[in-house]
Amino acid sequence: MRIGDFHASYRHDEALFDTRVQRAWFAVLVVALLAFPFVGGAYFVYLACLLGIHLISAAGLNIMTGYTGLISLGHAAFMGVGCYTVAVAERAGIPFYVALPLAGCVSAAIGLVVGVPSLRIKGLYFAVATLAAQFVLGFVFREWESVTGGVRGANVPAASLFGFELAGDQRIYFLIVPLAVVMLLGARNLFRTRVGRAFIAIRDRDISAEVLGISLFHYKLLAFGIGSFYAGVAGGLWGYFFRVATPELFGFPLSVFYLAAIIVGGLGSILGTVLGATFMTMVPEVLRAMVGWAQALGLQDASVFLASIRQVVFGLLIVGFLIFEPHGLAEIWRRVRRFFHLWPFRT
Amino acid sequence: MSIFDRRRFIGSSLAASATAALGAPLRVFAQSGEIVIGAAPPITGVFAFAGAGLHAGLGDWVEWKNTQGGIAGRKLRYVAEDSSYKVDQSVAIFKKLVAQYRPPVFYGDSTGWAKAIAPEVSQLGSLLATGPSFSSDLADPVKAPYYFMPGPTYSGMIEILLEHVSRNASSTKPSVAFVYSDTEFGRDPISAGKAKAAKLGLPVVLEIITKPGAVDVSAEMIKLRRAKPDFVIFHGYVLAPIPEFIRQIREAGLSSRGMGTIYSMDKTTIDQMGAVGAGFLGVMPYRYSFDSQKTPTMELIREVGSKKPGTPWQTLFYTQGWLVGMIFDQVIGRTLSAKKELTGPNMKAALESINKWDTGGIFGVPVSMKTHAIPVGRTYLVTGKSIEPASDWITIG
Amino acid sequence: MDWLLLAEFSIVGLLSGGVLALIALGFVLVYKGTRVINFAMGEFMMVGAYLFWTTHVFMQLPWWVALALTLVGIALLGAVVERFVLRPLAGQPVISIVMATIGLGAVLHGVAEAIWGGANLSLPQLLPRQPFMLGEILVPGQVLWSFVLAVALIAGFTAYFHYSKGGVSMRAAASDPVTAYAMGIDVRKMQRLTWIFAGVTGAVAGVIVASMTSLSPTLGTVALGVLAVIILGGLDSIAGAIIAGLIVGWLESITVAFVGGQARDLVPYLVVLVILMVRPYGLFGTRDIERL
Repeated sequence: MRIGDFHASYRHDEALFDTRVQRAWFAVLVVALLAFPFVGGAYFVYLACLLGIHLISAAGLNIMTGYTGLISLGHAAFMGVGCYTVAVAERAGIPFYVALPLAGCVSAAIGLVVGVPSLRIKGLYFAVATLAAQFVLGFVFREWESVTGGVRGANVPAASLFGFELAGDQRIYFLIVPLAVVMLLGARNLFRTRVGRAFIAIRDRDISAEVLGISLFHYKLLAFGIGSFYAGVAGGLWGYFFRVATPELFGFPLSVFYLAAIIVGGLGSILGTVLGATFMTMVPEVLRAMVGWAQALGLQDASVFLASIRQVVFGLLIVGFLIFEPHGLAEIWRRVRRFFHLWPFRT
Repeated sequence: MSIFDRRRFIGSSLAASATAALGAPLRVFAQSGEIVIGAAPPITGVFAFAGAGLHAGLGDWVEWKNTQGGIAGRKLRYVAEDSSYKVDQSVAIFKKLVAQYRPPVFYGDSTGWAKAIAPEVSQLGSLLATGPSFSSDLADPVKAPYYFMPGPTYSGMIEILLEHVSRNASSTKPSVAFVYSDTEFGRDPISAGKAKAAKLGLPVVLEIITKPGAVDVSAEMIKLRRAKPDFVIFHGYVLAPIPEFIRQIREAGLSSRGMGTIYSMDKTTIDQMGAVGAGFLGVMPYRYSFDSQKTPTMELIREVGSKKPGTPWQTLFYTQGWLVGMIFDQVIGRTLSAKKELTGPNMKAALESINKWDTGGIFGVPVSMKTHAIPVGRTYLVTGKSIEPASDWITIG
Repeated sequence: MDWLLLAEFSIVGLLSGGVLALIALGFVLVYKGTRVINFAMGEFMMVGAYLFWTTHVFMQLPWWVALALTLVGIALLGAVVERFVLRPLAGQPVISIVMATIGLGAVLHGVAEAIWGGANLSLPQLLPRQPFMLGEILVPGQVLWSFVLAVALIAGFTAYFHYSKGGVSMRAAASDPVTAYAMGIDVRKMQRLTWIFAGVTGAVAGVIVASMTSLSPTLGTVALGVLAVIILGGLDSIAGAIIAGLIVGWLESITVAFVGGQARDLVPYLVVLVILMVRPYGLFGTRDIERL
């Protein structure tokens, strides 16, 4: 049972880990993550890599939408930009440690352009403007054949580190997961700084924020830029992971997926991002396993319904969480924690 | 304590327990001797109509083959999961099934899938892949050594159509229009088709690109009405919007004749065109299951396929699924009887050794798979009542 | 410049815009009544079309019976959605409600796919196909009649809102719920009615679109294109929805004419982006006045 929060300095108050126990657990986590590809099955390594990509992208979206309040319906398109940038860069012989940041920067640049209208256009109108950006970028992916390969898509060669090819899930894991950890830590850290607090202020009441001296235009664009940077890096990693970039991959349904992930997880919280992304990645797998058991029990054609069941469950999860737990899994987690902290007291 | 570390702890413990709990029992190895055939057909999604038939055809073939004792005495097991025609899903299913069962053969869902998994297939070197895509990129034993296709390329099909048009033309060269969908499927053969038309001296008066699937075609019809092509080649669609185009062409008083490639030639599509479909010409590499000429394999397909209620005839997708099974049979059978392991290079060699193979009626002539494709097909004409062959079996290239 | 060609494309485009205006009307009704963009409108259209198929093609009922049953079914769906999905979310931030409608759309899509399968079904021709000749210009019959039908419905709704007690009550509840309550209007019932009307509009539009093209679970994607229409016209303006619908229909047709079918869905959105920079609330939308 915790008695209270005793911090003796600002530094201590702001620290991400402030007790030795926490640091120990984090070390355990790091060791577990490092050891995972050697003990986990091949498919789970694949899932871990996919989850890493989803985490980075969802973190970017949460920065834009959860923390700054700018609804973006076109997040997947920014990932696509990152993915195609990596494809083009690799074709030009640029190694991955330059191509990935480059992908992030190109995505951020496009994000800045899309964010420009955000000062004039607000709310739902802005959301649909981002959807328009999604369609425009999708069109560019399909039609700019010389660069993107058009509907055929572009092949992405494996990332290679001085000749050592990062081909295969086990190897790319060691690129994706550390990068995901670093970027999540970075995002968490962002909200200890002035910039992060400005974002939160803009979300809560942008006019008041402006009155207080926060330049709306500057910070909204920054939010979009950072969020798109994350999306671009995630898209670049997607390219190295799936080894192919096609226009259909980065459409509106993927944007919806990320929005669902941060809503289910909890807007405005990095913990929420992690929980939400993990949940949304694991749910299709659990469903598939359940369909497998149903088939084993004799319902032969259960797999035909898998796609429909997945959609229905996806929709029900979103609606259910919004109605019953609007602050998402993060809030459930906080409640559980509070229960254990205060036990045997109730409140 | 900060929220941060607990989150990480939960995340890692979830992952760890998931690995422990699910990883072990899910690592199911196929029972010894069993050969697993993996598949990720597009049973739902934009090409649901096709995927369901492909899935049924291949699955039924596996069941039938097991009643015949399997391949070289080893039983077969068909493991398939719906990909909804989405590349990330079919790639995920592929990785999962390969990790679990190590199948020597796999049936995918699209060109995008084939290209995405190509590096991994080369690295694994343990399987042969195929799918419903007839993109010419994939009929290349050098660039796609472990891929084959159960028919001619789309470019090949369009060339057959153009040859037919050119051969049956009177003095003036008839004009041609291309109507295709804005997808990889749709765009693949168009440049080759235009080149062939140029070579044959057939003017291409119009090119129309639409979204795949159901669209409102009124605006495109205006262009068609002005261009007045003699022949309109549709490609990249499975059903809609071809019937609607044909109907509007008739209503506009045009005498253009529609032509289609394999996937627009299923009886269901043709039936939906109704009376206005008369005169539609298409290339289909297989025999229809209701062909008046009786052949052993097609009879077998009818017998097995009609066991499902409400299917008096089988779609061409079912036929393709069955054919793919037969090709797997040839490849695996030949490799095993040469006492070789089921590896990629060995199966590739077995595939390329298929020469003068009698498919028992699916193709009207014996076929060879040296080019990793089966460049054979024939044209069919839709009359008011039925779909009749309009030419002999043609071998392309 | 081939004026005849331009005229032909323009006329066909404007007439196609009729259906777009009808769908946009559904969106605007919901927005005016409950301040929500209903991202599940496409799925309402799709479910309506499937219900019609079931009653008319599958159960072989005459079309007017089938249509009546379809509308009753969709009305029920609208009422259920309003009560169990939207009502609990009242007061939540915009992003939550938008996501809720998207989730709802996914549920409807999955259920439809499970019940009716993913393959294309075809509805019989409901609208007369005989093309009309305006001099040299050929107007496909279906396009013309869909326009006529859409205009009739929109006129009917507009008349209802302006002249009938129920309609005026709905408008009152939408513009100022508190005062409406004070005047004795049951605001919740009005909101439910709003959703029912929107569902009905969507269902009719869905049946029209399905009979002109074909019926599959992906019918709902038409509605994504209509988002451009409502943003262009202004989220809470019925007149805006109609005018923007016609404009977008015209734009799509001209795009097909001079650019090509692959840009057809894109150009309306590009135009919307440009217009939004000049008029951030659409052509006829009301300006939001934010107060601290």
